[in-house]
Amino acid sequence: MARNPHQAARLRRGIVLYAVVGLLLFVWAFPIFWAVVVSLKSETEVLAYPPNIIFEPTVRNYRDALVGGFSILPSFATSFIISGLTTVLTIMLAVPCAYAFARLRLRGKKALGFYTLVTQMVPPVGLVIPYFLILNRVGWLDTYQGMVVVYLTFSLPFAIWLMVSYMEDIPCEMEEAAFLDKANRFQALWHVVLPQVRGGIAVTVIFVFLNAWNEFLFAVQLGGNDVRPVTVAMYNFVSVEQTLWAKLSAAALIAMLPMIIIGFAAQRQIVKGLTVGAVKGGGRR
Amino acid sequence: MSDGKGRVTLRGIDKHFGAFHALKGIDLDIAPQEFFALLGPSGSGKSTTLRVIAGLETPDAGTMTVDGVDVTYAEPGERNVAMVFQNYALYPHMTVEQNIGFPLRMDGVPKARIPELAREAASKVKIDHLMQRRPGQLSGGQQQRCALARAIVRKPRLFLLDEPLSNLDAQLRLETRVELKRLHRSLDVTTIYVTHDQEEAMTIADRMAVFLDGDIVQVGTPDDVFNRPDNLAVAAFIGSPPMNLLPARFEDGAAIIAGERLALPPRSAPVPAEVVLGIRPSHVRIADTGIPAKVVLSENLGESMLINAEVEGVPVKVRLSEMRPIAEGATIRLAFDGGHVHLFDPQTRRRIA
Ligand SMILES: Nc1ncnc2c1ncn2[C@@H]1O[C@H](COP(=O)(O)OP(=O)(O)O)[C@@H](O)[C@H]1O
Ligand SMILES: [Mg+2]
Repeated sequence: MARNPHQAARLRRGIVLYAVVGLLLFVWAFPIFWAVVVSLKSETEVLAYPPNIIFEPTVRNYRDALVGGFSILPSFATSFIISGLTTVLTIMLAVPCAYAFARLRLRGKKALGFYTLVTQMVPPVGLVIPYFLILNRVGWLDTYQGMVVVYLTFSLPFAIWLMVSYMEDIPCEMEEAAFLDKANRFQALWHVVLPQVRGGIAVTVIFVFLNAWNEFLFAVQLGGNDVRPVTVAMYNFVSVEQTLWAKLSAAALIAMLPMIIIGFAAQRQIVKGLTVGAVKGGGRR
Repeated sequence: MSDGKGRVTLRGIDKHFGAFHALKGIDLDIAPQEFFALLGPSGSGKSTTLRVIAGLETPDAGTMTVDGVDVTYAEPGERNVAMVFQNYALYPHMTVEQNIGFPLRMDGVPKARIPELAREAASKVKIDHLMQRRPGQLSGGQQQRCALARAIVRKPRLFLLDEPLSNLDAQLRLETRVELKRLHRSLDVTTIYVTHDQEEAMTIADRMAVFLDGDIVQVGTPDDVFNRPDNLAVAAFIGSPPMNLLPARFEDGAAIIAGERLALPPRSAPVPAEVVLGIRPSHVRIADTGIPAKVVLSENLGESMLINAEVEGVPVKVRLSEMRPIAEGATIRLAFDGGHVHLFDPQTRRRIA
């Protein structure tokens, strides 16, 4: 127990801190916890009111979600292809673009930067119809290239904006030193800049992949039977007559899995990447 | 390789940053293997000049040649110059060895040879025991040496240093100054050295250019600049504290200040009737007779006293080697050592030889 007032105060602070953290964590984690519980129930058990605390857990929902008639596995692959392609293309284009924004004296740089931000402010729902009409005209509805191009229109400005802040944190002198040592611009970018923004790239990759993976609005309108990401496929368990809550929960939890794995794997990179930007005031000058 | 080359010539270099006129027609001739300092207060255009020489800035007008070849618009990488930046610009993600080896890598030196050559350069600046550290794990002095090693590893034709000592503490600065001079002797490479510290420039440089507001106001040896300042601008800048400058009349080979006659050695050039008289604080004595002055403040500098006085409202500083307390407000008499008096023409602002 606390032996003096100082220790007692520290103990009290600790308790308050843990209580607050616990509460926030509970609010955040409860829906997920509830989804886990529901996914282990039978469809009839789910509808019991008040909910039964004690029930016989079953993995049938997972089996149905994975290999049943409405298996989400094919759409899982679709989501991977779309999100992966979007991420790879975004990074490949955003890195040189961000470098140009951060370093070169471009005409209209300010305007471009503003445009980049504006794309992030437009409510997506306002763009669904125009995108639908455009893709329809091009014949890219329900195609991978259609989905990826549409996702790029959001992820690219976001990724550029994020990467610029990381690149601006690198002193120009470092590249100038490289230039004096006979490096060309590409070598300076490759050997000097990129290794220092690895954390930033990791953060960007994760956010872009996550956004593409979780996207629903455009997927449901611009996809179709051939290209149906997992977020849309889950809705096979929702129909006019009934909602198969347990199977929906199981499917949702399976769909979450890649994100959780990535999150764990890149935890350190993410925290580092986020705090680097934060400490230096986002790096935007 | 340094083969007796490295002559740098700047002619009429002009540079604007937006509306700001940063360099106003710089002319410079730097001899092969010279240790040349660019000295001037902060913002006077020293770094900009160095960056023009490095090719990191393109001048608006003017030309630059190295060994007679026009390189005004050459890329930095084509100039075979090495530079130590004020913030060192070490690559934080590379080890000391990789940092020093980077210029070799870009130059296409076989990978297997790089560690050995990097170590050789590192040993010249005594950091060869730190090869596997990263810059973040080095002290400021070690970082500075790492930047030096990266610059000398390639045996450049020009060696550019931008305030390389300004981030070191006073003790280390003195030591490193001596080592830089030694390094320059052993390398025999034309070295251009930017500093705002006149003592540094005086002790280390063969010759120097004094910068003020984007202009060079004098080029010469430390002795020239200190003992024969070309103009009032240099006179007012060099020395700590700088020379006293007093308006005076000139009659029959003598200066007249506050009614007192001060006989001067003859000048070779004609002297106008109105002059500005310059004399260093250490060449002023307190005497029984002479120019009357009112003491404003006396400062104890440890090894000497600095008396701040006024002659007819013009501030005059006197450096005394003996520690003699003088009451503030007292009136004293000052004697100027005539052999050390400089005369300047207030119209042209130039020194009268
Ligand atoms: N890239 C730049 N953009 C705008 N102004 C600059 C730039 N570089 C230097 N200047 C200005 O030019 C002047 C000279 O700078 P500099 O050569 O760095 O001076 P210093 O003698 O201190 O090294 C300063 O007033 C500085 O603010
Ligand atoms: Mg400078």
